[in-house]
Amino acid sequence: MKEAKAYVFVAPAAALAILFSFLPLGKSLAGSFLRISQSGKVLGWAGLGNYVSVLSDPSFLSSIRNTLLFVVLFLPLNTAITLLAASLLRRKGRLTSIPESIFMTPLAFSLSALALIFKEIFRGRVSIANRILGTDMEWLEQPFTAMAVLAVMGVFLDFALDFILLLSAFRNIDRSTIEAAGIDGASAWTIYRRIEIPEIAGMLRITIFMALKDAVLISAPVMVLTEGGPFRSTETVMYYYYLEAFRSGNRAAETTIAVMMVAFSAIIMSLASRRRKDA
Amino acid sequence: MAKDIRKTHSGVAFQGGNMARKSLLLLLAAVLILPLSAGGSAEADDGTVVIWHSNSGVIGNAFDDIVERFNSTIGAEKGITIEAIYQGSANDVLTKVKAAAAVSTSTLPDIAQLDATAALDMKNSDYLILPSDLGIDTSSIMPSAIESLSSERGLLAIPFNASSLLFYYNKAVFDEAGVNPPRTLDEFAAIAPLVGEKGSDGSVTRYAFSGVPATYELGAFIGAQKGLSYMVDGENGHNGIPRSVLFGKEGTFRNFLVHWKNLYDTGFVSSITSGISTEFAAGRTASMLASSSNLSTVLSTVDGRFEVGTAFVPMTDEEATGGVNIGGGAMFSFSSGDAVKTVLDYLVSEETQLEWAEKTGYMPVNTGLYDDPDYIAFLDDNPLFRVAMEQTEASNPKVTGVWLPSAYQIYYSFQSEIRNVTENGKDIDKAVEDMEAAVQKALDDYAEQNIL
Repeated sequence: MKEAKAYVFVAPAAALAILFSFLPLGKSLAGSFLRISQSGKVLGWAGLGNYVSVLSDPSFLSSIRNTLLFVVLFLPLNTAITLLAASLLRRKGRLTSIPESIFMTPLAFSLSALALIFKEIFRGRVSIANRILGTDMEWLEQPFTAMAVLAVMGVFLDFALDFILLLSAFRNIDRSTIEAAGIDGASAWTIYRRIEIPEIAGMLRITIFMALKDAVLISAPVMVLTEGGPFRSTETVMYYYYLEAFRSGNRAAETTIAVMMVAFSAIIMSLASRRRKDA
Repeated sequence: MAKDIRKTHSGVAFQGGNMARKSLLLLLAAVLILPLSAGGSAEADDGTVVIWHSNSGVIGNAFDDIVERFNSTIGAEKGITIEAIYQGSANDVLTKVKAAAAVSTSTLPDIAQLDATAALDMKNSDYLILPSDLGIDTSSIMPSAIESLSSERGLLAIPFNASSLLFYYNKAVFDEAGVNPPRTLDEFAAIAPLVGEKGSDGSVTRYAFSGVPATYELGAFIGAQKGLSYMVDGENGHNGIPRSVLFGKEGTFRNFLVHWKNLYDTGFVSSITSGISTEFAAGRTASMLASSSNLSTVLSTVDGRFEVGTAFVPMTDEEATGGVNIGGGAMFSFSSGDAVKTVLDYLVSEETQLEWAEKTGYMPVNTGLYDDPDYIAFLDDNPLFRVAMEQTEASNPKVTGVWLPSAYQIYYSFQSEIRNVTENGKDIDKAVEDMEAAVQKALDDYAEQNIL
């Protein structure tokens, strides 16, 4: 009886998941082995042909490299900055609410508006960024700097949520352990390193995996900020997917990349949850 | 500890629990009802003609004026209202049209303004209504604009905003250097050091040219070679589905790269791919290539700081006499009926095209205007607008834009390969080979997926 009640509660979420996630996934999986025309007609069996076609496309392979570069730039930067900010503000003081609310404001920005602002800041040689930094760079015209700008923007987008999660983790640590350690003569640094960090490690892991997921799936900021440029150097896997699936109507790329990315995300998430169980 | 976190979370999520839940339900209901109400509203029967367009800025205002005039005059008489919806760039409009068509053809607009990148998809779609099916008289429309949209199915759409590639230059700089705009790329290479400028530390303070050619520019740089050259077979994909790449084996891309590298090697070419107009207006580049339809925007950005000149696009070599192709956009229709026909007739009428051309820089597509005193007077007052018209008249009408699958991707591939040659020292033959392979792969994939 109790179990039946549980199923009733789960039903709406399960229905949505089946309707919007699992059915389309099944359709994509089946479609990835078929030849399908732009108008959706099934023309025949493709076997592994679609996968071979996508995996042998040099621009798909370079989109993987671009995505990896983004992850390498973004993930450590994002983790370091959010952890630093949350660490500095972990003790509630009279004035901490001011930086706290400042750090939370990125949540209020829409992604595309933010991307347009970044685009304006870094546009051309006469850009605002050059004026402020005293540099003479064409930020969005060089492959590496364009990717770096993208990573900084990624931090801006993820910062607020990660900050809130880490901050709440810090503030929920049982004070008695810290106080006891303090009485025993532990320095602030030792307390931070030996007690607080291990206490928030679970949450830190969650934010890292969330950031990793965001980084691997990044496409919308690319779409607005760089459009994959310059010279396709910021074309990430998901942006490549978007271009091929939606702009070019390439069903082979659409189905196979969807399947591969879901498989990849599933692996990451299962790693994340296994880690959580360990903790 | 875990319990505490949960408490914090639920505290945030369900603040004012009842209200939040109610509005969530409302939102859910709205989401469910939305598709139902959207379906069917695209029918032209109720007297509303929905147009998805891509006109923004100065051009967007001009388009709004034209729509408003229709709604208050002809539309009011006949009970037809144009509902113009801006959907982003021409590429975005195409993406949305295809997405709408994939859901249900009833979610399509009545008319969509699309550019050449859409032609291949539209040609092979079963939801496109041809101008001939609508019974539209196209005898007074510019022949090269008709040619640019003709396929084996016939004319695909009604040309509306015709433009071509145009060479923009800083006339003050060119005059000071005592040079004319270049006729060929070699001539350009010869004068580049004269119109460019270096600071005392040797860094370039003004480039002779900024930009990296892509599909659009190559339509002229390759298309004009030997009087007429196609990039792919089937007359650039206009006649049948293209199956093989021609710019490789005919040597046209190679020829272009040789001359382009020669120009680049002067050291006065900047390989930027965005914000070029801004650099031009700031006087940091002496020339650029852009659509003729940008003219009014360029003039308003430069804002009289220096005199702007327009000229024919430089030829790849002396034999590249084909000129430029007509680009820009056209009105593709997805529903039939008199209301749609009335709107399309209005959009290409002399009066509308005159207003449109004067406010934007697009070339009027109605040939009736070419001896119209108002239009001639306008050209006399604004000689810069005349150059594009003259260039088109001097061009081979068979030089047309290329219709390719994966057009957006190929656009960027061209830029990458050109930059590989100019900046990274890539061998020209290798670049041609790689580019040919990339386009051939797109053609093969398309054929594999769309031909039985």
